[in-house]
Amino acid sequence: MDPKVNGQLQHDWGWLIAVYLFLGGVAGGAYTIAAVNSFLGAGLELSTTVGLWIAFPAILIGTLFLIADLGSPSHAVLSGMKPGSSWIARGTWIISIFMILSFLHLVLHQFTSVGDAAGGKTTIDVIAVAGIVFAIGTMAYTGILLSASKGIPFWRSGVVPVVFVVSATVTGHFAIMLGMTLFGTVASTLEPLRTMALEAAGLVVLEVLVIMFFLQAAFRQPDSRESAMRILRKYMFIIGYFILGLAAPLILMIIVYRSAAGAETGIAAVVAIGAVLGLAGGLILRQAVLICGALPTLNIAGFEFRRIHRPKEPKADIGLLPPK
Amino acid sequence: MPQYGMVIDLKRCYGCYACSMACKTTNHTPPGVFWARVLMSEVGTYPNVVRQSLPVLCMHCEEPSCLEVCPTGATQKRDDGIVIVDKDKCMGCKYCIMACPYGARYSVDKWESYFPDGLPLSPLEEFQKKAWEEKSGVGVATKCDFCLDRVSEGKLPVCVEACPAKARIFGPIDDPNSEVSILIKKERGQVLNPEFGNKPKVYYLFPR
Repeated sequence: MDPKVNGQLQHDWGWLIAVYLFLGGVAGGAYTIAAVNSFLGAGLELSTTVGLWIAFPAILIGTLFLIADLGSPSHAVLSGMKPGSSWIARGTWIISIFMILSFLHLVLHQFTSVGDAAGGKTTIDVIAVAGIVFAIGTMAYTGILLSASKGIPFWRSGVVPVVFVVSATVTGHFAIMLGMTLFGTVASTLEPLRTMALEAAGLVVLEVLVIMFFLQAAFRQPDSRESAMRILRKYMFIIGYFILGLAAPLILMIIVYRSAAGAETGIAAVVAIGAVLGLAGGLILRQAVLICGALPTLNIAGFEFRRIHRPKEPKADIGLLPPK
Repeated sequence: MPQYGMVIDLKRCYGCYACSMACKTTNHTPPGVFWARVLMSEVGTYPNVVRQSLPVLCMHCEEPSCLEVCPTGATQKRDDGIVIVDKDKCMGCKYCIMACPYGARYSVDKWESYFPDGLPLSPLEEFQKKAWEEKSGVGVATKCDFCLDRVSEGKLPVCVEACPAKARIFGPIDDPNSEVSILIKKERGQVLNPEFGNKPKVYYLFPR
């Protein structure tokens, strides 16, 4: 039996690619927030440091997951050969430049005193601006990679890159907040965390709106409807993403923002739990979008060629006698 | 240089899978890989039901989306219009598989036995595996190449030769006097899902 009957799900991109897309998004989101905060200055130094420490390792490890998924990794050096037409080739260049810039920024920020001199600060600022451009490029690329796939109608939507950029910003935000609770003192991080909690809550609401728009748009297209129905039938998506990955962090972030002074010790734990759930939600979203990608239905002259739906009660329904 | 194409007469095809079997035995494709597939469809309500088979293969499109997305240049279009994969350039990213709306491409990570329970490969499977590794190999993208080796020797693709109903016709699609061109014109040949915009070079003749 041919396993690749039309209408069935793609099975060539699995969890390795989901992790790659997730870590690419986290890296891009964390770097963008860190670099923007480096310009905003006062009180946000820890978020910049944590963001830079997340961005470079995340994009490096994410790339390793991509390489692990390649069938013939020895030919990976050729991956940037056709940037004129291939989004993987373009992504290779975008991610490579982003990786270099995030590494340079981290080294200059953390291990040198370049930033203390006037000229050195300008150098770091130039790297930060270029880094933001390529970080946003990385976030968008993870979605464009899917939306440029003509063989999977569910992914072939202009909304997919928007979903991935918003989700990447959310997960980058949560990654920084988690890092701040782990590496900062409660007293020094409390106010920045409350501000970031409010930002995170706003971003989660935006993600809910974008994902709902994406799914309703998918429902309106016959070829992507099956994928949209499949994703909404998955407990992993409904419980893991919608409830635990979006709703729970949203509630927890509101709690953090509205917390009264004097509850510092509990806030760090609430932030950490919310951030971990939000990060897990980002990974689940990507995995669910990947595994629910169904091939289009082939048709000719009114015949649709896809999985054959057979009646559940064969004898009663397709007997030789016509129904009464 | 002729532009090769194929016509599949659905009035003649009765879904015997001879093309699939001939392709597998000639090209030694691994388990789960079908360069020449046959899909089935049922249309209508009792008692007016029609069962229709649809042989599917790489459409060797004029504007192949697999060619566009390939990052390494492994997917190439020859002067005769046949789309091929250079196994020495393919890195196995599988993006071409996601890009092909006809589902014509495959990639396998390892060669598994046709037999269950972890049995070792039979001598025939060992032979097929060796032949496959010379031709394509595991890890890289693979697809129908219109039996390039046979066509370059002046033979027909093996699925065309094996079809007992003579439902498949192969030839230069750009020659107005060729059998394929005449059939497409005379019987108003159609391509699958023209809305994909890939301009396939495999046409289907349908009962009217």
